[in-house]
Amino acid sequence: MAKKNKDLEPSKKEKVTFGQIILAIILLAFTVFAFMPVELTFVAAFTDEKSITQNGFRFWPLQWSLAGIGTVLRYGQQLAKSYGVTIFVTVVGTFMGLLFMSMFAYSISRKEFYLAKFLSIFLLIPMLFNGGTLSGYIIFTSYYHLKDSLWLLILPLCVSTMNVIILRTYIVNSIPGELMEAAKIDGAGEYRTFFQITLPLLKPSLAAVGFMMATAYWNDWQNALLYIDSDAKKPLQLLLINIQKSIEFLLNNSNVPASARAAMGGTIPQYSATMATVLVVIGPIMVVYPFFQKYFIKGLTVGSVKG
Amino acid sequence: MKKFMENTWKHRAHVIMALPVFLILFFIMYVPMAGLVMAFKNFNYADGIWKSPWNGLDNFKFLLASKATFISITKNTILYYLLFTLVGTFLNVTLAIMIDRLVFKRMAKTMQTLMIIPVFISYAAVQFIVYAFISSDTGIINHMLGTSTRFYSTAKLWPWILLIVKMWKDTGYGSVLYMSVLAGIDAELYEAADIDGANSWQKIWHITLPSLVPMITVMLLLSVGTVMHSDTGLFYQVTRNSGTLYSTTQVIDAYVLNAIFKNSNFGFVAATSFFQSIVGLLLMLLANFSVRKIAPENALF
Repeated sequence: MAKKNKDLEPSKKEKVTFGQIILAIILLAFTVFAFMPVELTFVAAFTDEKSITQNGFRFWPLQWSLAGIGTVLRYGQQLAKSYGVTIFVTVVGTFMGLLFMSMFAYSISRKEFYLAKFLSIFLLIPMLFNGGTLSGYIIFTSYYHLKDSLWLLILPLCVSTMNVIILRTYIVNSIPGELMEAAKIDGAGEYRTFFQITLPLLKPSLAAVGFMMATAYWNDWQNALLYIDSDAKKPLQLLLINIQKSIEFLLNNSNVPASARAAMGGTIPQYSATMATVLVVIGPIMVVYPFFQKYFIKGLTVGSVKG
Repeated sequence: MKKFMENTWKHRAHVIMALPVFLILFFIMYVPMAGLVMAFKNFNYADGIWKSPWNGLDNFKFLLASKATFISITKNTILYYLLFTLVGTFLNVTLAIMIDRLVFKRMAKTMQTLMIIPVFISYAAVQFIVYAFISSDTGIINHMLGTSTRFYSTAKLWPWILLIVKMWKDTGYGSVLYMSVLAGIDAELYEAADIDGANSWQKIWHITLPSLVPMITVMLLLSVGTVMHSDTGLFYQVTRNSGTLYSTTQVIDAYVLNAIFKNSNFGFVAATSFFQSIVGLLLMLLANFSVRKIAPENALF
């Protein structure tokens, strides 16, 4: 509480006027609006199931319960698998993407490279024009035969024109060219210059792009829905979608026999368990995000200044 | 040719470093572009995209013949773009100015951190949160108002629901860009205005807003390039892909997704996709051309 009071102290220059108080209240209201749904998820995950079915969802529960989390842990095997898949795809995709994109950005930022111009245009065209979901679906599944392959979760999000542009802009504007030339005069080859000079200096930009990529991988549901069939390769977002579908199925088919319901195990419509799953899925990003906030705000700004 | 080979050898390090991205773009982005020829073919899986027989403009004729669907999804796509862009820009700018003007700086920072969180929640998860609010028997809204509105089968409410969800998710994050512009305003301008006796509104009107106008213009123009592409998750997940809501919620992207799962008439979908890509390309060129005219440093190319 004491800390909060300190926050409210005005900065030296400006005065606390009546208008400022009103402004603070409006902003507080918006913050509540933005955060309440997240709070609701948290609370619902720990609410007693019966109290939800009888009294509906509430921002503050009538009765707490750990049953929801318990259920999630009961059908935890699939959850653990899905966690594994999501983490694998996120980590591999992000690191691969960062490495490949910064190498590409480095190459096209070298003025003496005769293909730099061609490659820049090659990079730009996909932003203007794309084949769309249907064409991609048919090519990936019936020509590359990658249906149910984790590659289709990794590759489509791996390279984005905007991210390469952000990295290239950072190399051109924030890493002194003399530094790289000096390394070359000292006898360092292209690879060595890139890995020992450019890459370490690129860190702030890599953090920004990397965080945005990681959230995109973590939250990707569309590619999973289109391409992944087997349980062993199902990422978290697809698990959420499946839970929703089985709830819908049960609601629309009241004559599902009890034995079938039992066989569906944890996916029976249990509000608190579902919310607990949602919480488990969105939790990690919320924990990690504050540490990256300053980087991605910076990254966003750099990207907007020059493409 | 010999010169090309010599050059390549001389720059082999650069070529090798550029190769992975080149290959990924080629196989993931460029090959599907060629797949758009489907729009002029009578596609079947056995023959594949390249060998399926050509059928000229038949797919497009079919598109015009069953134009009700086509017009409905195109109309929804464009209207939602307009709604989200207008309301979104207004809220982003307003929020950025409010946070920037607040004198309790640490409080502003904490609030900003909390407001950005929703952008990181996937639509597959948002869908459950929305359900908690609007489900007909357990939803918070029905309980609070003592009503029993069946939101998931009342199409006319959905433009509002989707607008609220979209603004909830994106406004905090969307304001960051404008805040970075505001942070760059010379503080002396405000001090000078104070000396001249300007009040807060005057300062916002004469200093803050004018300095945001270039960025607002650029962002609006660039967004024109994305009119044909919607936030698929919002329209596919949040609506639970409910058929009764299609009249007000189905956009082109979600329609294509549904068509793939239902394995329905690919000719129609291919024609729609082709239309989407071409119009998207033209709008993107138009957007970039206009940005180039007014603020060349912000143009994409």
